[in-house]
Amino acid sequence: MCLPGYYEYSCRVKIVAGHDALERIPDLLRRLGARRPLLVTDRGVAGAGLVGILREAMGERLEIGAVADDVPPDSDLEAVNRLAVLYRESGCDALIALGGGSVMDTAKGINILVSERGDDLLKFSGAGTLKRPLKPLIAVPTTAGTGSEVTLVAVIKDRQRRLKMAFVSYFLLPDAAILDSRMTLSLPAPITAATGMDALSHAVEAYYCLGKNPLSDVTALAAIRLIGGNLLNVVHNPSDREGRLAMANAAALAGMAFSNSMVGMVHALGHAVGSVCGLPHGVCMAILLPYGLEYNRHKREAVMGELLFPIGGPEIYGKTAPEDRTGRVIAYIRQLNEDLHAATGGRHARFFGEIRDREGNHAAPRRRLPEIARTALGDGAIFYNPEDLDYDDLLMVLEAAWEGMPLDSGRIRKG
Amino acid sequence: MESFREIPAGGKPVKRAYVALMLWFVGRAIQAAARVDEAVGEEFAALPEGFAFSLEVLPGGPAMIVGKDEDGRVRYRGWRPAGRRLDLRMKIKNLEGALLMFTFQESTATATARDRLIVDGEVPAARAVVRILDRVEVYLLPKIVAKLAVKRYPDWPWQEKIANRLRIYAGAILGFP
Amino acid sequence: MFRSAHSFVFRSPTKVLSGARALENLPVELAGMDARRPLVLATADLAARGMERVMTAAFADSGLTVGFLAGVPARPDRELVRDLYGLYRDRGCDSLIALGSGPTPAVAKALNIALSGKPEDLEAAAAGALEDGRPRPLAAIPSLDVSGYEMTRYAELASLSLTAPTAIPGLLVLDRRTVPAEDRKTTAAAALLTLTQALEALLHPDRNHLTNAYAHGAARFVMENLRTALKKPAEGKSRLALANAAFFAQTAFDNLSGGKIFCLGLAISRRCALSPGLIMGLLLPHGLLMEMDREEDPGKDLLLAVGGMDDHALTGKGPGVRKAVDRVVELLLELQSLIPEYPRGIRDIGLRRDDLEELPDAVGEVAGRGTLDPSEVRYLLDKAWETRF
Repeated sequence: MCLPGYYEYSCRVKIVAGHDALERIPDLLRRLGARRPLLVTDRGVAGAGLVGILREAMGERLEIGAVADDVPPDSDLEAVNRLAVLYRESGCDALIALGGGSVMDTAKGINILVSERGDDLLKFSGAGTLKRPLKPLIAVPTTAGTGSEVTLVAVIKDRQRRLKMAFVSYFLLPDAAILDSRMTLSLPAPITAATGMDALSHAVEAYYCLGKNPLSDVTALAAIRLIGGNLLNVVHNPSDREGRLAMANAAALAGMAFSNSMVGMVHALGHAVGSVCGLPHGVCMAILLPYGLEYNRHKREAVMGELLFPIGGPEIYGKTAPEDRTGRVIAYIRQLNEDLHAATGGRHARFFGEIRDREGNHAAPRRRLPEIARTALGDGAIFYNPEDLDYDDLLMVLEAAWEGMPLDSGRIRKG
Repeated sequence: MESFREIPAGGKPVKRAYVALMLWFVGRAIQAAARVDEAVGEEFAALPEGFAFSLEVLPGGPAMIVGKDEDGRVRYRGWRPAGRRLDLRMKIKNLEGALLMFTFQESTATATARDRLIVDGEVPAARAVVRILDRVEVYLLPKIVAKLAVKRYPDWPWQEKIANRLRIYAGAILGFP
Repeated sequence: MFRSAHSFVFRSPTKVLSGARALENLPVELAGMDARRPLVLATADLAARGMERVMTAAFADSGLTVGFLAGVPARPDRELVRDLYGLYRDRGCDSLIALGSGPTPAVAKALNIALSGKPEDLEAAAAGALEDGRPRPLAAIPSLDVSGYEMTRYAELASLSLTAPTAIPGLLVLDRRTVPAEDRKTTAAAALLTLTQALEALLHPDRNHLTNAYAHGAARFVMENLRTALKKPAEGKSRLALANAAFFAQTAFDNLSGGKIFCLGLAISRRCALSPGLIMGLLLPHGLLMEMDREEDPGKDLLLAVGGMDDHALTGKGPGVRKAVDRVVELLLELQSLIPEYPRGIRDIGLRRDDLEELPDAVGEVAGRGTLDPSEVRYLLDKAWETRF
């Protein structure tokens, strides 16, 4: 196990997992001194009937102060301000965030405003501005992927001023993350596949990037083992409660790992494809993950080889010579993408070139790759990538990922 | 409680002076490199008009500030960040962390991975500044040291590297704009 | 297929700073919690070993004023907590730093409970009924001679045994300067105690993915670093790894409960002069063998933790527990050859045959115990009594 010269790790979120984890919420809130939460969610989640399941699980034991089910797909300032008013007017004293990354970020933003009694969120942006615990916040993720239920960051868009505000503080961490199999049972197969690959990319990058540490390692390994054993299965059998719970656990474990170790070029490129072309994050992660391994391989061969143990299982690991292990890991992840492609009737994409929008055009057109590469150059995840990347390197990787071809190792400039 | 003692935190004058000197030198070297090295010049050109950044040591300095003038010229602007408008502040959490960086025991990448820095400002700008710092380090340091400081040591033509190195050193020491 | 066997709750409220110049990062962390006047507690012994100087140097240039109290006795009591309460208030302190292991963090936790809530909270914590509250910032800087309780909800004082989840230190600082080399016996005892907590967590009926992950990390660090820490005590990295391991194992332990080897080791140590960790080392192989007839799955995880990936992969479908026990016995024999005064069995430590009758009940007094079957405890005792390694 690695012990870096220096590391920091923290995950203060209480993890509550199980098929009946929701039922614990009233008691959790009571212990935190709260009795009237604002439920923050979005239309999709409400439409899938998850608010109903949550309400039923609360029964008479908890009064929900108000339900805000109109959080936009990209968390923005307008929603945060509006819902902070709703929180105050409804006499709430805590928050429940039910949804994916955007709902979590919105709830964190509301929490800053209502706890600090402020009306200008911008004053609290950046790191280190929050010094006190905020109101109780319970996170209930409804996809098994982003891991934002255990992260200390919130990104909120200010559309008027055209900027993205980032908030970083340990006080933004939810008090508890509720991992309940009922919340992901109705997730469609392609989203299950993409979010599962998102979680895998968190864990794999956490394990080979520069910020790795012993606790991010053990949580990443546990996550990879769960994903390797369950992802394909839940795509085939969506109503498998055990598999769903395992994936929810995996996503939270991967979230703990990457929020403490940070991630590398796969995320830098993925964020850029997302912001330039609007592709879902998980889709980008699935496509780009093998390239992160290929590109950094010469710097991280031994560490990457260890991943064969949780991904392929002990037998395959034992039978593979150490110098062949990284190659097997990359092949395994490519095969997983192929299997998910088959299992979703071709809706899980393997490379950018095969993604089409409703009109049948490329959703990520090849001519936009230079713009994507330039955007990725400004992404903070590159700090944590083992090998350096300039514009040409990023473009080379994007070209390969567009075509679905492995990287030409001769073109990787090794430092 | 006879064994109780109150200990006011002392200072570390020698370490402070060393880090202050290094920051001063790096700041002036960036000013020189912006004119001498094409890539550094381009990085600055791409940053917004009037852009200024600091590299500071918490809690109370030392620090260095570099910024673009109205005419686009890059200048070292001293060591006092207080009261200035800065687009980007890169703060090293303490003097010992700064010392690890400026004695080249930890590269910028390692220091970042080890949470030694707090970045206040836009991340793309911070990325640009780190790319600039990396290039300046390659000029200032002998290859054996610079190889540890940057992730990938560039393969520049040696004649050009030596010529630019001399000009940047001269510019940093003499401070001509 | 790897599955979540049941529902679980896991919590670790600690932020860890580990490695080069970790101590110098403490002022920034305290400032982030609005704390500027910490009260540092330490034993006189640790202060005499130069720790006060190390702390002062670390806080230089931070602008903070540090109150330093170097007089925590080996068995702190309620009176000390009361005195410290007055001192903390009089001096206007706003946070606590527990320097060292054993009694110091115990008294710091008790003091924090008293400071952070109502005066009767200490009584509630003594009854195990204190579940909430917002504690003052408490940073732990443990040394290698761990009791196993430092980073847990438990605080053992003379005639006062506290249990409060909020007592767990919010910050943990591990720096090779703050884990000075101990003598071989102390280092080995601490590592074996850590290994016991880790392996019993891996076998615990309520174990979950997170306790497994932490326990796995702890066991790997002990197995990979203990030998170096003993043979080259000046080498700081292996000491730091052992200190990390202690934190990981204690976190797993805190989220589950103590198993029979841990509890029996502590109970026996109260009747003889040997430290709990060394006793646990003598019990460990027997305790693990008792698991052999149970399931297959934890055996594999056990071997992965003790032997690592390659050892596990080479074993194939064979019995995991058996091989894990072999590895533990190998370690034990090596420790005994390095430490001549390490007894060969529990018969050699001043324990009497009569004690075997009383010990299964005495186990009930150990803080953090789980539900233990007295007949299993007795079986373990008998096995250990019969064996000399």
